Formats: sequence, structure tokens, C-alpha cells
Amino acid sequence: MRAAVAHPRRSAKTAARRRVWSLRFGIVLLLALVGTGLFAMVWTPYPPDAMGVGGIYQPPSLAHPFGTDRLGADILSRSMDAATTDVGITVAVVALSLIVGSIWGSLAGFFGGWFDYLTMRVLELLNSFPSLLLAMLVISIAGPGVLKVIFVVAVLPLPDYVRLIRIEIRSKKTWQFADAARMVGRRPLGVLFAHLLPNSLRPVLSYASVNASWVAATIGALGFLGLGIEPGSAEWGSMISRGQDAVLSGKWWVSFFPGLGIFLLAAAFHLIGDGLSDARTKGGRA
Amino acid sequence: MSSFPNSQPTASASGGRRMARLARPVAQFGLNSRSVLAKTASAVLVIVLIVSLTFLASRVFTADPVNLFVGNSASTETREKAREELGLADPLPVQYLKFLGGLARGDLGRSYLTGRPVSADLMSRLPATIELGLYALILGISGGIVAGVLAAVNRGGILDAAVRAVTIGALSLPQFWIGLMLLWLFFVNLQWLPGPSGRLPIGMSPPDRITGLYVVDALLHGQTDLAIRALRQLVLPVITLALGVFAPIARLVRSAMVESLESDYIRTARAMGIPTARIWFAYALKPGLLSVLTIAAGLVGWVLAGSVLVESIFAWPGIGQFALTAIKSSDYPVIQGFVLYVSVVYVVIWAILEYVYSRIDPRVRAQ
Repeated sequence: MRAAVAHPRRSAKTAARRRVWSLRFGIVLLLALVGTGLFAMVWTPYPPDAMGVGGIYQPPSLAHPFGTDRLGADILSRSMDAATTDVGITVAVVALSLIVGSIWGSLAGFFGGWFDYLTMRVLELLNSFPSLLLAMLVISIAGPGVLKVIFVVAVLPLPDYVRLIRIEIRSKKTWQFADAARMVGRRPLGVLFAHLLPNSLRPVLSYASVNASWVAATIGALGFLGLGIEPGSAEWGSMISRGQDAVLSGKWWVSFFPGLGIFLLAAAFHLIGDGLSDARTKGGRA
Repeated sequence: MSSFPNSQPTASASGGRRMARLARPVAQFGLNSRSVLAKTASAVLVIVLIVSLTFLASRVFTADPVNLFVGNSASTETREKAREELGLADPLPVQYLKFLGGLARGDLGRSYLTGRPVSADLMSRLPATIELGLYALILGISGGIVAGVLAAVNRGGILDAAVRAVTIGALSLPQFWIGLMLLWLFFVNLQWLPGPSGRLPIGMSPPDRITGLYVVDALLHGQTDLAIRALRQLVLPVITLALGVFAPIARLVRSAMVESLESDYIRTARAMGIPTARIWFAYALKPGLLSVLTIAAGLVGWVLAGSVLVESIFAWPGIGQFALTAIKSSDYPVIQGFVLYVSVVYVVIWAILEYVYSRIDPRVRAQ
């Protein structure tokens, strides 16, 4: 601690090194998971849905590195197959809320007025209820389906995206570069989307990666509770749920490896978010 | 929107942005800008709106609950009769008005599954959830503050790295998986702690009710053995739930502390020879406490949601598990009761937070 106080520069350097490391490691991890998901579409050691490729509840072995489940299906193959579903849904959800949130927030921040007012009231309503509970309720009402899950989980964090972008745009629209763009004859929407928005994305991007880990966990939780994605399909959360009884009789591997999948995905996004957000506060303009 | 620093200069903009994000739900009521009456009215309005939306959504989109009672193959006559009895035969607006009328009298209807009044069912399960959530919040918040302070004063050291690893782990590991693995480790393997059998080991009867919290009640009756048994049942679910509270608080405290440790008033305090521990916890921690409060209030919502998952793993007979069963079987009255309960808790928590804010923060008080 003394060192941190006496040599702020040195500690800033350590922090910088750490966030670069954090960012790189997160990206590598994410790419590995995306790669696994894509690869699993072409090849898995065993067919993921085939039963009885090994004995029932076999512990991890060379033939089945992650063991087998109660139907004798290979857990490694199923976990790989699930990576396609979980990583795919998570990326789709984050992309959707990032795009919709950015456009919505930009418009609200730029034009203000009644649209802005209405936006804020809608967001308040969305915020007055815990998100995961809302997801559970809405999906139980809407019924299962991958697209429904993507849509519902994407709507929940929208308030945060909209707010972040809205604040950025609101404060930057009076800056000189925006004035300059107006003076050379850019139309309002051009100023907004070609000049203001690209310069306001940084905080929302770092938020998006933190949000992505929430999304990964939420998708898993919905699968675990049997809401949303077809029960029994290869999805990490529902695989964990199916292994619940087995774990209580000592067969830890049935739920352990799918959980590891969710953990790696969420951790990857956390590390990326950490790297981005530290970079924003410590260096750069802000 | 008083807490959004819209046009502040660059240096504090990022910090301000972070605060704005943390403080957002506080801002929605407009800090101290309206009278208590107006706030109460708007809170009630929000609750009514949420409950109405749930009502509408559950009536319009879900499967027909009549199936719950008569089965899919029942004759049209039987179905109509059941519909009549359940009050589902009326036109939707009539159903809605009846529902609102009941709500105003505190009548939430009867559960389709248990046949008992929803409010009684919820109340009987409330202590179990409170016991779980309360201990988890206390443990998570206090643990998070201590860990965050220690990490900040050891910045770059081993302790800092350890806290960082634990928080990233706790934030990334799915809660239901943590619970399951804790059970595997401490119940199946080591046999140190009891399995998922609810609030007490099977066959034990609860203490006479005073507060509804088993550990407290057992202690008040002097039944130490029972209290210990109940406490052992609590250990794993509470830890599972508390980890999710601990992690964000520890991170927040750490970053706020790192900032304040470098400020001049801390250097002055150090020069004055004030004991180190006092400087850490009394001086450097203080500026960060407001955002801790905000996050803690948000985490109450998280605990409410988390209780659904944790209660289902540990067979904990609380509101979360009750709600999950209701959600899975389209038991509307219970779902509505649950939504009402959650939104009331939420609104009350934010109201308390706002009050506390106005007591602590001189800037807010001055407004």
C-alpha cells in the first residue's frame, strides 16, 4: 500500500499491464469458445444426442473425457453441441440489445423532447422489476423457443444501453466536432450517426461485455429452470439441471462440465469488459 | 434526473457515468424533488401498472388454466362449469375489475393448485425466504466491504489478486451450479453439512413461531440444538446466494477505495498519525459507501430472483420455489401474488434507499 501511494506511476503501469492481459486473455477465451461452437456443428466425438454410446453414468475416462450421463450419452459431445447453442444465443442477444439500444438511445439523447420523456418513462417501468424474474415470467407466458428467449433476454438490459448512449450523445452534441459537422452541411441524422454515435460507443461497448456475462448466466438459468429452450436439448443450463440428482449421489461430472462451459463464457466476457473499462477510466480522453 | 451529470467536464465524466449507472434507479423517483405524497402515489401507480401488465399477459398469452382442473379430454360442459367456478368465464375487463377490487381488499384470489388463499400461501412461505435472503445479504455485504478494502490497500499484491479471482469467479459461475457443487463437496463427499432437505433435517419439528426465522426462534426458546441444526441447513444456500452479493460489492469498494486512498485528505490523516485501520474503514471507505448502498439495494432484487434458483436446488420451502411451481403450471393467482410481492419489496427498498441517501449525502440534503 505504501508503494501504491508513493509511486502512483508504477502502480498505474501495473494496472495498464493487467488490463491488457485481461483483455487479451478474455478475447482468446471467447474465440476458443466460439471456435468450439462452430467446430461442434461439423464434428463431435460422438453424436451428441445418441444414447448409450458408453455405459450409464461412466466417470471421465479416455474414451469419454467428460464421462457419460444417465442415458449413456457422451457429455463432452453434448457440451460441445451446447456451446453452439449457448454462445450463439448469447452473441445474438448482446448484438440485438447493443444495436437497438444504441439507436434508441441516440435518438432520445439527440432529439430530446417528448420522445426522450417517453423513453425515460418506459425504461423506468422496465427497471422497476428484477430482470431475471421478468425473463422467467415472460418466457413462461410466451412459451418455449430460441427466438423468444433471444428477444426477451435482449429487451431486459435495454434500459442500461439506452441510458449510457443517451447521456453520451446529450453531452457531446454541443461539442465542437458536432458543430463542425453541422457547419459543413451535415443533416441532423448524419451528424448523429456518422459523427456523434461512433464517438460515443466506448462506454456502451465495455458495458456490453459485462452484460454479455449476465446474458450467458441468464440463458443458463432459464435452461436450468426448464423455461425457454426445449427441455432436454443440448444446452448447458438444462444439462446441469438433468444432472442434479446424479450429483447428489456423487456423480459430479454430469453437471460439472456444462457448468464449466457457462463459467468460461461468462468469464471471457468479464475479462474483456474489465480490460475495456479500465482502459476507459485510466487512459484516453475521459 | 438530478443524479446524471450531463455536461460535466472530462475528468469526472467517467466517474460520473459510473455513478449515473449505479444510481439510476434512485434517480427515477427524483431525489427529494417531490413530496412524499407524490412519491407514494407514483410508487403505487408503478405497482398497479406492473400487476396489470402481468394480469393482461397471463390472461392473453398463456395456456388455458382450465386444463389444470379437468384435463385435456374433458367434455365442453365440464370445462365450461370449471371456467365458471374459476371466474374465467367473464369478459376480460370484468375479470380485471374484479381482480383490482380484490387487490384493494388484500384478496389475491385462491391458488389453482393448493386451493388456499394466495396471500396465506405467500405469507406462510415468507419467513423461509427472509431467513435465507437476510443472512445472505448481511454476509455478502459485510464480506464484500472487508474484502474490497483489503484488496484496495494491498493493490497489486497477492490479496488483491485473490479477491479479484474470487470476484470474477463468483460473477461468472452460474449460481445454481455453485450450489450444486457445494452440495457435492460438503454433503456428498465430506459429509460436513446436511443435504437439500429444506429448513430442518427430515423428521425435526420447527420451534414455536415468534419471528418465523427458525434459528432466532430456537434460540429464543433456548433450544440450542435445534438452532444449530437449522443453522447447518442454512450454511450452503446462504453461501450460494451471498457470493453473488459479495462479488459486485467487493469490486465496487475496491475501486472506490483505490481512488480515495490517493487523495490528499488521506495523506493528511496519515500525517496526523491516525491509526491505519481507522483511516481505511472510517475515512477512505466513506465516499464509496453511497454507491455501495445503491448497489446493495439493487442486489435485493437479485436476491429475490436468486432465491428462485437457490430454493429449488436446496428444496427450500420459500416463496421462490412456490413461484417457480406456479410459473411452470400457469397458476395465475399465485404468479400475480408473487409479482405483487416482488414489486412492493422493490419499491419499498428504493424508497428506503432514497431516504438514507438524503440523510447521508449533504448534497442531496441541500436540494
